[in-house]
Amino acid sequence: MIALEYFLGLSAILFIIGAIGVLTKKNAIVVLMCVELMLNAANINFVAFSAFSTPVNMNGEVFALISIAIAAAEVAVGLAIIMNMYKTRDTISLDDINLLRW
Amino acid sequence: MYWSELAWIVPILPLIAFVLIGFLGNKLFKKIENGGYLAIGMAAISCFLSLMIAYEILTGSYPGGVYKTSFEWLVVDGFTFNMGIYIDTLTAVMLIVVSFVATLVVIYSIGYMHEEGERKRRYYAVISLFIGVMLGLVLASNYLQMFIFWELVGLCSYLLIGFWNTKPSAASAAKKAFLVTRIGDIMFMLGLFILFVGFGGNLDFDYIFNNVDAFVGGNELLTLGTFFIFGGAIGKSAQFPLHDWLPDAMEGPTTVSALIHAATMVKAGVYLVARSYPIMVETPETMLIVAIIGGFTALFAASMALNNPNIKRVLAYSTISQLGYMFLALGAGGYLYAHTAEFNVGFTAGMFHLMNHAFFKALLFLSAGAVIHAVHTEDMRLMGGLSNKLKITSFVMLIGCISIAGIPPFSGFWSKDLVLEAAFEAGEANGIFYLLYAMGLITAFMTAFYMFRLWFMTFKGEPRDHHAYEHAHEAPKVMWVPLAILAALAFGSGFALFMGFETTVLPPLPHFEPHGAEGVIGILEAFFTNWMTYASIIAAVLGIFLAYVMYYKKTVSADIILNTSAGKKMYDLLLARYGFTAGYDIIGLKVVYGFSRLVDWFDRKVIDGIVNLFATIAVKGSNVMRRGQTGLVQTYAAMIVLGVSLIVILLFYFGGLI
Repeated sequence: MIALEYFLGLSAILFIIGAIGVLTKKNAIVVLMCVELMLNAANINFVAFSAFSTPVNMNGEVFALISIAIAAAEVAVGLAIIMNMYKTRDTISLDDINLLRW
Repeated sequence: MYWSELAWIVPILPLIAFVLIGFLGNKLFKKIENGGYLAIGMAAISCFLSLMIAYEILTGSYPGGVYKTSFEWLVVDGFTFNMGIYIDTLTAVMLIVVSFVATLVVIYSIGYMHEEGERKRRYYAVISLFIGVMLGLVLASNYLQMFIFWELVGLCSYLLIGFWNTKPSAASAAKKAFLVTRIGDIMFMLGLFILFVGFGGNLDFDYIFNNVDAFVGGNELLTLGTFFIFGGAIGKSAQFPLHDWLPDAMEGPTTVSALIHAATMVKAGVYLVARSYPIMVETPETMLIVAIIGGFTALFAASMALNNPNIKRVLAYSTISQLGYMFLALGAGGYLYAHTAEFNVGFTAGMFHLMNHAFFKALLFLSAGAVIHAVHTEDMRLMGGLSNKLKITSFVMLIGCISIAGIPPFSGFWSKDLVLEAAFEAGEANGIFYLLYAMGLITAFMTAFYMFRLWFMTFKGEPRDHHAYEHAHEAPKVMWVPLAILAALAFGSGFALFMGFETTVLPPLPHFEPHGAEGVIGILEAFFTNWMTYASIIAAVLGIFLAYVMYYKKTVSADIILNTSAGKKMYDLLLARYGFTAGYDIIGLKVVYGFSRLVDWFDRKVIDGIVNLFATIAVKGSNVMRRGQTGLVQTYAAMIVLGVSLIVILLFYFGGLI
């Protein structure tokens, strides 16, 4: 059986990749994808901890499923916003979208 | 049923007149002098009641001799404040003086104020208010009540001095009177606080006079208390150094000067000291100050009357001077009593002079009013020769002048003589009273001189302004009848001495048994076997003679004095009122204004500076901080990551998670 640390290491690497993507990428769709990476890193943690817990229960797996459903909804909303942005401003570059400021 | 039980009506009636005239004067009473007759009616009824009450108290037909009644007005924190009425012989004398002079002055006003139109409503309303509150002051049964009315008469004085409020000099004179007397009022208030604390929160006359020994806090505190109470009297009675408002108060109508600034309101200070006599005599230091201030003011004010060309101002200085006499008598009597607790004439002399002065000074002012009414100027240099035109006025004014100068048997003679005698008598206890007596004697000389200077300049000699002289006319009947009544009193009120004034009007003091000479013959003998009587008569006659040769015969001219440089300087100094007016201006402009500018600078630069500094820091700082809000979603995300990382790191290092 693979040790817990490997799961946690994978999840940490995924999370960091996602976070760097969110902070650096200009394309809004790529940023959205990076957010998905971070969410999935969290899901791996849920499942891993659940599998290693004693006594064995399914709480982590169930929570991961809920999390995936929420992520799907979030992507739907995010994509809708990006679509509308593209329609009105002809761009999805985050550097050009800075209306809410001083 | 006693008349005294109706005393509460006395101040109410003029107050009703005030309300009716004040609110409805121009509607209801337009045809009848805008309420003048209503004011007369109410004042007359008050006067009648006052006279009956005074008669009852003075003859001792009221059981116990003192009428007192009171009801609870306020209960605060366990302290009870009463409202009530307290009538003893002193109150009775004041009642006679106030109500009688007031009634005559209001009658006289019908003639004097006839041409004032709609403003008469204001005049009669305020003068009714004044009569009401002045009677209230006299009847008050405790210090707090007295203080309330004290402030109200001050208000009336302010309103009436500024009656011609479109005239800048009248407006500023009113303000000056109000502010200067306020200094005295504050001292009065301080005195009341001390008494309030010392007597356990009870300010009733009845309690205090019978329990002087119950004062807590020692004689030093009581001395301070009585001194402050006298401070109130200094302000109201225009004594040195708060005298300067009274000459300016002559900007009001002459009737107001006669009633408020000669006969009644300025007597409130004397009345206060006389009323507080039982506690005043416990503190001889205060009595000494009272006498010194009184004696000094008498001389000081009389000197300023010597060369003033304004007929009303001469009378104003004369009033200050005569008030000084009253304080001198009260102070001397109280001081002597504190040393040898038996009868002396001081108190009686002061009150006697108060009464006589009220009559002859009201007469003099109203006569001056008749002259001003006739020639429309107050400058005596523009008068002269008016006795041909104003026969009655000149005659009654002559009576007033003789009376104030102190020629027997006119009223002023008796009381002035008693005042000087009281001052001299107190010399046994303290040598300074001999000096005060000498000052009083010089004052008597000056008084005779300036009064007859006034009379000769106004009524004798050649008319100096022919236009005014041609148009001069005798006062109407409504004006000269009150003058005639007052003249009779100015002549005769001194005879009250023979009717037992000295043995009737006594302060409520223990061991104060009158042993003055009894009977007409006895009193006359006591008077005319005393060298002091002749000294004051000689002083008066010398004064009159000097005025006669200088202003009637003109054999001696004032130029003799004016031609020497010292004389000229003195002349200018007197006209400049010893620099007091300028002094007030310097205090007002240089000291107060300068200090205010300093405070203003401090406020603007330091206080506002600090506040503005904080504001500037906030504005500048915010301007920098707001640049953190870029509107770029990734910046915010970076901040969140940074923050969360920081929290995690801190948790690991300090939270003990490692």
